[in-house]
Amino acid sequence: MKRRKRMLEDLDRDIREHIQMETQDNIERGMSPEEARYAAMRKFGNVTRVKEEAREVWSFVWLEQLLQDVRFALRMLRKNPGFALTAVLILALGIAANVIVFGVLQALVLRTLDVPHANRLMTLQPKEGGPFLAYPEVRDVRDDNTVFSAVAAVEVNDFGLEANGVTRPAWGYEVSGQYFEVVGIKPFLGRLLQRADDDHPGTSDAAVLSWPAWNGYFGADPNIVGTTVRIDKHPYVIVGVTPEGFNGTEKFLQPDIFVPMANEASLDGVNWLESRSYKNLFSIVRIKDGVTMPQVQAELNTITARIARQYPKDEDGLAFKLARPGLVGDFIGGPTRGFLAGVMALAGIVLLAACANLGSLFAARTADRAREIAIRIAIGSSRWRILRQVVVEAFVISIFGGACACGLAWMALTGLASWDPFAGSPIKFHVLPQPSLILMAFLISVLAGVLFGVTPLRQIFRADPNDAIKGGSSRSSAGRRWALRDVLLAAQIALCCVTVTAAFVSLRGLGKAMTMDMGFNPKNVVRTEFDLSQASYTADAADHFQRQLLEGIAQLPGVEAAGYANATPLDLDASMSAVFSQQSADFRPSKKAFDTYYYEVSPGYLAASGTSLLAGRDVSFTDTAKTPAVAIVNQEFARRLFHSERAVGRYFKNRYGVSIQIVGIIADGKYFTLSEDPKAAAFFPISQKGDTKTALIVRTRRDTGDIVGTIREVVHDLDPAVPIRESGTWNSQLALSLFPSQVATVALGLFGAFGLLLSIAGTFGLASYTVSKRLRELSIRVALGAQAKQILSAALGRMLIVLGSGSVVGIVLGVAASRLLSAIVYQASAQDPFVLAAVALTVLLAGSLSVAGPVRRVLHVDPAPLLREQ
Amino acid sequence: MGRPPEPDFLPGTLEMLILQTLSRGSNHGYGIAQHIQQVSEDALKIGEGSLYPALQRLLLNDYVVAEWGFSENNRKARFYRITAAGRKQLGQEKRSFDALLVGIARVMQTP
Repeated sequence: MKRRKRMLEDLDRDIREHIQMETQDNIERGMSPEEARYAAMRKFGNVTRVKEEAREVWSFVWLEQLLQDVRFALRMLRKNPGFALTAVLILALGIAANVIVFGVLQALVLRTLDVPHANRLMTLQPKEGGPFLAYPEVRDVRDDNTVFSAVAAVEVNDFGLEANGVTRPAWGYEVSGQYFEVVGIKPFLGRLLQRADDDHPGTSDAAVLSWPAWNGYFGADPNIVGTTVRIDKHPYVIVGVTPEGFNGTEKFLQPDIFVPMANEASLDGVNWLESRSYKNLFSIVRIKDGVTMPQVQAELNTITARIARQYPKDEDGLAFKLARPGLVGDFIGGPTRGFLAGVMALAGIVLLAACANLGSLFAARTADRAREIAIRIAIGSSRWRILRQVVVEAFVISIFGGACACGLAWMALTGLASWDPFAGSPIKFHVLPQPSLILMAFLISVLAGVLFGVTPLRQIFRADPNDAIKGGSSRSSAGRRWALRDVLLAAQIALCCVTVTAAFVSLRGLGKAMTMDMGFNPKNVVRTEFDLSQASYTADAADHFQRQLLEGIAQLPGVEAAGYANATPLDLDASMSAVFSQQSADFRPSKKAFDTYYYEVSPGYLAASGTSLLAGRDVSFTDTAKTPAVAIVNQEFARRLFHSERAVGRYFKNRYGVSIQIVGIIADGKYFTLSEDPKAAAFFPISQKGDTKTALIVRTRRDTGDIVGTIREVVHDLDPAVPIRESGTWNSQLALSLFPSQVATVALGLFGAFGLLLSIAGTFGLASYTVSKRLRELSIRVALGAQAKQILSAALGRMLIVLGSGSVVGIVLGVAASRLLSAIVYQASAQDPFVLAAVALTVLLAGSLSVAGPVRRVLHVDPAPLLREQ
Repeated sequence: MGRPPEPDFLPGTLEMLILQTLSRGSNHGYGIAQHIQQVSEDALKIGEGSLYPALQRLLLNDYVVAEWGFSENNRKARFYRITAAGRKQLGQEKRSFDALLVGIARVMQTP
């Protein structure tokens, strides 16, 4: 714009001078000075209007020239389809990577839940520990606060949903009375659950269907309201359907049905509504208009302090913080955001590398056109005009690239949204592409265009028209001085090394995770899961059923070992329990020794799951409620309590003060995530307590596929009403635990491959360019008797310096960046010598691959024809 | 708003006249207008209202460049100089103008 201002000032002075000259002439013709000036002014007319018109010319000419430049750029690209295609493809991939990652980021983190005034919706979360609250805590906050317009509790649960004679497993939310007030949506059909539905147990048999369940299970029946269904054998009446687009208040967990929380005892088989130690709920609150977050936090602190004083036994040290709802409360919010930010940074690096690549391509092309540019400047074209044309060419390429990227990203996100990675789980990715992504792609394209379009800036402004006139363009500087494109290439190689390092780190991490010792061996094991409370079993009846089932299964041919448990390690819903030392007399939570993972198992479970018993005995059916309490603990448990693994025969106490004798020691394992540090775990005889939740573990010598069907038959023969949640190989069911690292590995692997491709393309391009530019000089050297080694170092020596320094910088950066990866990729460590060696080898290989062609060409230089030619 | 618009030339003709004037040597805006008026024996009066926009067009297309210098009576003035691209453009315009004139003449001479 400075240029425009100068032109305007020039025009101004020009016109003033014009009038002066006219006045002078008029005086010479004999007018008086005033008269002369007046006549000149009159002749010139409206000065302002002339200026305006001149300025209009600028915008018009500017547009016209822009159109010319666009046409010229298109012609250049058509003339050079190879270059155009490569450039568009490189950019399309670079931009698509960014748009896809941004789309996922937007869907999972940036986008709020699809409810009115979603920014007033928050979740309460304990300041320390897991995301869960106990029901009385939520009730206290609901009744004592002045800052929320509504407060609700949610428990995610799986039900047996019986309708039209079919029982299917369904996911549901048990919600407290104000849930739909918090959410603030209008029903699609009928009504939603109200406070009255949650008044006391059994007060209401109302249930609300979600739109997808209504559409999928009930064929979008418009007369659904009033229909009776059975949930875990209890009759419920459908009173309404939630609107389309409302998928509950968890971004990953889509519920099928909503039922009043007051009825939970009949559905869960345990009454936890009055228990302060049974923390199993998410909370969700709506903040009143005009109330600020600090006010809310202050009031929460007052309420929790009062609760802690009133119930020191269970609530000692209670404190809540506010968090955005949607990602298991906000429990996985941190890692999810961190991971996506890391991937976004990598995507940005790939785009930068792509821009550097295209930038050096452009710089090389501009160098080739040096003569043409010099001539154009000599015949009076302005440098601005030439620069603008190069930039327009860059923009045309980047807009094409952006358009292709949009298509790619759209397909990828649509695919991801319809992908159902875990059959039978409610986990879905709501990442449907938004129109705003097009804008995003456009912005990135423009940015990229500017980035690589202005690289030839210096070349154009240094271009000397005398060179063209002297005809000396072959004295081009290629290979003599350090040029911008060398720096760009080094930068690009460094960036690509970062992505390659990240890819290798995550690949290595996944490999380790696959072979890591989990404390059990899921190979050749079929795991079958069901909850007998869904068929209205009591704990006693469940015990009877489970034993009968185990006897039946043990007799099947090919079964090596079988057992069952209430839950197994790496389940989503791991339970924890506080451990106190045998000497302890104070059982407040703050006095506990530590928390342990908690499992109830049958005899045979250890053998079937492949858990090695290091000392002592297995549990037995002779351990009953009437015999002394016993447990099997892992090494970590023993180490933490006794600082020794010799724990068999010793005692600890639970939070009720009951002494429990340790009868066996098992090897450490993984219980919640694969990336966790060693954790304490305790396995109790299921016959001492009993649970309706059943995970049947069968180790087989036969093909696991055959036995799955047989197990289903055995369960069905015993009671056809038992809804089997899932039955299949344990390995496939563990997929969920491995899922994050698999996703990370695929994503990072793609980025790594793309980065590698870019650096090969960039190195090859620049190496062959350098060689072709200096072919004449090299021929002379050969003619004068230079040795192959000298020729090589003359031609490509600097190239190797660029390659080497770029790689070293890149690997160092990559190692530093990979620390961030270890949060999500298990066992990821960039200090791993294997990783470092692999990265170095890959870079070396890619480097040699990309300079192999140019090297061959240098070594086969034949001086004769070239020297004859000129 | 001042005077009625200048009698129109065929589109682009004014630029051609300016380039032709400048091909004899660089000149300032006032000088260009004077020259065209004198040579055409007052048949073509270039209004300043169209002269300066036309000069801007030529500048922006790199057909002329402007630089500050001193006029014959030692006044500071902006001198317009034709570039090589401008000469090329002038040649093209002359040719198409000639063709146009021949065409018009043929039509007009046919009774």
